[in-house]
Amino acid sequence: MSGTRTITIANRGGAAYSVAERRPLLDTLREQGVDLPYGCRYGGCITCAARLTAGTIDQRRQVALNNRQLANGYVLLCVARPVTDCVLEIGVESHGLLYRNPFLDPLAPHELKPAIARPKEP
Amino acid sequence: MGEACCGPGYPSPAEAIKAPREKLLYTIAIYTGTGIQKPDYLATVDADPDSPTYSQVIHRLEMPGIGDELHHMGWNACSSCHDDSSMARKYLLVPGVRSNNIHVIDTATDPRAPRLHKIIDGAEIRAKTDLSGPHTVHCLGSEIIISFLGDARGEAPGGYLHLDKDFEIVGRWEASMGDIPFGYDFWYQPRHNVMISSEWAAPNTFMPGFDLEEVGYLKYGRRLHVWDFEKRVPIETMYLGEDGLIPLEVKFLHDPDSTHGFCGAALSTNVIHFWKSDDGKWAWEKIIDVDNEPHPEWPIPVPGVMSAILVSMDDRYLYINNWLHGDMRQYDITDPHNPKLTGQVWMGGLLGRAPEVNGVKVAGGPQMFQLSLDGKRLYVTTSLFSTWDNQFYPEIRTQGGVMVQIDCDVDNGGMSINPDFIVDFGKEPNGPSRCHETRYPGGDCTSDIWL
Ligand code: FES
Repeated sequence: MSGTRTITIANRGGAAYSVAERRPLLDTLREQGVDLPYGCRYGGCITCAARLTAGTIDQRRQVALNNRQLANGYVLLCVARPVTDCVLEIGVESHGLLYRNPFLDPLAPHELKPAIARPKEP
Repeated sequence: MGEACCGPGYPSPAEAIKAPREKLLYTIAIYTGTGIQKPDYLATVDADPDSPTYSQVIHRLEMPGIGDELHHMGWNACSSCHDDSSMARKYLLVPGVRSNNIHVIDTATDPRAPRLHKIIDGAEIRAKTDLSGPHTVHCLGSEIIISFLGDARGEAPGGYLHLDKDFEIVGRWEASMGDIPFGYDFWYQPRHNVMISSEWAAPNTFMPGFDLEEVGYLKYGRRLHVWDFEKRVPIETMYLGEDGLIPLEVKFLHDPDSTHGFCGAALSTNVIHFWKSDDGKWAWEKIIDVDNEPHPEWPIPVPGVMSAILVSMDDRYLYINNWLHGDMRQYDITDPHNPKLTGQVWMGGLLGRAPEVNGVKVAGGPQMFQLSLDGKRLYVTTSLFSTWDNQFYPEIRTQGGVMVQIDCDVDNGGMSINPDFIVDFGKEPNGPSRCHETRYPGGDCTSDIWL
């Protein structure tokens, strides 16, 4: 069906939801009863982060994730729109790679937030 | 309190010190970022040693929604309204850093069970004033100003929200932010027509957590700003450089005639002392420098991370924390140029010096604290900010925060953990929560300003 996408939530027993492709997943999933964390609701704080394990998301409005978090598949549901059908892990159970101790595990220059990251050295 | 004829607070700091002992504490407790899908709340803690519920949470006021991240708070009125008998210290303003909502909480109708009076909707604040990321609340005579760290999209420097005494939005307080890059805390001394503000970072920078590398990209602050308080414009900048990385809390001495004040630079873990010199210029110096400490498993030494400072009501002692090291310190600042370390206690922290306090395992380190008006009881909590907690103390998710009481010797200096008091927020009915800033009904050591 055009205009909708199927979102499968891997860590909720594979529950599947049909959602509008043009609206943020935080809204469309919560409307269908999925209990999701959130804070700022504009892509600035990572409280709503989930992990995308299959599919494509448009989250061009996010301003909070760094390139390492993006490379690890994190998406901010409050500004994420599904381009294709997707599989997600949600909630803090999916946050294992989201947080790091910055003194023990520094970011390489290409892993900073997109606005300040430098291209990866070959 | 004070004389019956008068408004809130006390005629002077000396009178405030003589106020009755605090029997109730209000502290915020958060679930935002913890994985527990419940609202943040204002906890009432029984601090009366003669009460059967001493050292327990006796009431929880839940916010209407999840995801606020309650953090700091402030009163609707303080001693700056002492001459105005139409005012009362009745409402706590409790902002949500992430949601932008300002919760106005009535603590006077039933002090043990505060109730929600009004919410100023975060979306309305964004739309009307282009502000987000609320932090410090101060009253301003009968009105209120709140620092916000970002614009509506979370970009620095934000500005100041001005509310009237009925909690209606007046607009932006400041006439100009000048070339200030970041906002955070502020304090003012009306007799000198001065306000000093400090710098954390843009909400979009600090809310997701701490990327240390961004300090080098100048995404975090390193300046203090001097304001013409009446004209509401910044007029001078003190560039602190490497000595003042991430300057957070700003406190003037309580004496309204004094121009001496202090700021804790969190990442440098230094105390900056500032004052107006004889030639009328603002001067600053570094007076306390906490060394980084070696850690058994870290390749680099651990900075203290001095996220809060507090001055006792008699202006004799300065209290500081080292959130990552795990110690609280007391300095005698009788000579503000030459502080003397007079007390130190350990609670939690990464160095393993005091993993347990009064039988409770401490996740996190000393973080926010509030001192009794008489200077003898310091109540300390352990959570900093949900995302930062999750980076440095991931075990706080299952253990929650704690509140500890430190007894302070005001005559000879010295600090010790009170053995009879501990509030374990790991045991809350909805699961482990994290406690942060604390206030008392009768006013405290971080509220009142004298005109
Ligand atoms: S709720 Fe803040 S980034 Fe989504």
